[in-house]
Amino acid sequence: MREFLKSTRFKVLLGFLAFLVGIMIYAVTKGGYSLSGASFVQTATKPFRYVSNGITMRFERITDRISHADAYYEENQQLKKQIGELNKQLTDYDDLKEEVEELRKLVVIKEQHPDEVFSQPAEVLGYITNDPFKGFTIDKGSIDGIKPYCPVITPEGVVGITIEVSATTSTVRTILSPDLSIAAVCSSTNTDFGIVEGTVLTAEKGTTKLTHLSPDHSLKTGDLIITSGNSGLFPKDMAIGTVRNTGFEANGLSACAEIEPCADITRLGSVFVILDFTGKKEDADAAKDTP
Amino acid sequence: MRLKTPREKRILYTKTTVRWILYYLLIIVFFTIMTSGTYTKPMLLVPAAICIAIGNDVMAAAVTGAVCGFLTDMACGRLFGYNAVLLTVFCVAASLIFELYLRNKFANYLWITAIASFLQCWLDYKFYYQIWDYENVSRIFYHVSMKVWVYTVIASVVVYALYRLINRFLMPKEHLTIEEVIKTA
Repeated sequence: MREFLKSTRFKVLLGFLAFLVGIMIYAVTKGGYSLSGASFVQTATKPFRYVSNGITMRFERITDRISHADAYYEENQQLKKQIGELNKQLTDYDDLKEEVEELRKLVVIKEQHPDEVFSQPAEVLGYITNDPFKGFTIDKGSIDGIKPYCPVITPEGVVGITIEVSATTSTVRTILSPDLSIAAVCSSTNTDFGIVEGTVLTAEKGTTKLTHLSPDHSLKTGDLIITSGNSGLFPKDMAIGTVRNTGFEANGLSACAEIEPCADITRLGSVFVILDFTGKKEDADAAKDTP
Repeated sequence: MRLKTPREKRILYTKTTVRWILYYLLIIVFFTIMTSGTYTKPMLLVPAAICIAIGNDVMAAAVTGAVCGFLTDMACGRLFGYNAVLLTVFCVAASLIFELYLRNKFANYLWITAIASFLQCWLDYKFYYQIWDYENVSRIFYHVSMKVWVYTVIASVVVYALYRLINRFLMPKEHLTIEEVIKTA
């Protein structure tokens, strides 16, 4: 041992050790950067390490798959189940989102008409087969508080009136029908009164007609027609539609106007039913409204 | 007719049950089609009812006519029972005509269906539109009722094919003994 400590090999080793410590101290002073030699080695060996690492990783994956097949199968099943639950949650979320949108619309209408009682949003179940006046059925009925002759609206405007109510569904007659008459007035002038009533011809175009207008009316294209609320069938100031064109009745005694409904009657998704409002008349005969 | 063995009776019973289940499944499908969308659609339940009526006895025809009629009333928003009465009458008449006078051929079915569906469309127009004397009411007849009738007659071909397919596999056939065949000849 004493011989080794006195030997040159030991001194060389000490020198090499000191060199390494020196390198280490130098490396500390570089503040995180590699030494040039190390950097060169890293760069030179990079492609080899890349290939080698790739092969090794692939090999490890294969062996891992074989050795942990059961565990992966279990995990896969759990993930599938989790995906199913998440999809269900996503569907619920979409439904909720849709419901929130509907309720948001309801809030807007409610703010505009604070004295009215609305139903929950009612989905349109389907249009009456081959009805030229586009009557339809909704998914709310008497258990939701709906009665015959309740006004049916959308946030855009008046749609029609309930005519037949069962426990869970109601049939709606639209403003395109000649069987529904609504007292109406021009929103801008507030003097041009008339009756909105569908006809066979206008129903074909998805419009309705404002009749019994005074011959010296001041209506012009684009004017908004609203409910006058005189009869107690519809609340006051609900949008019905806009004037498309004006003219005279066949008898020449009164004027009329073609009205384009604010709500697209032929493509309805959901509607609201007004269950109660100030000045409501509980009379079936009110279906034939007068100004 | 010869007596049926228990096995033959069981097969007959099963086939009849399955046949009627399929008949009514098709009726539900037709009802669903009729109540979907906003476009003018054929009255699929009319040819369906006639098609069932012509291949079965009067009572079955009457019940099927009533069921199809009630469904038509629901789909078309008509007075509940109005179309049921009409279709029951049509189906019973069709069943009797085919039993007594006509052979069960496609051409016979087609013209019977054409007449029945025309009457149904015409009466619908009379009672639900013309009676109220709307302005330009005749446009409804030419632009809606006639269109529906034409669509119905065209669709009746498909309806016939579907029911024919069911009958081909599930309609029980009359088996005659050799003695009966000789006697008949």
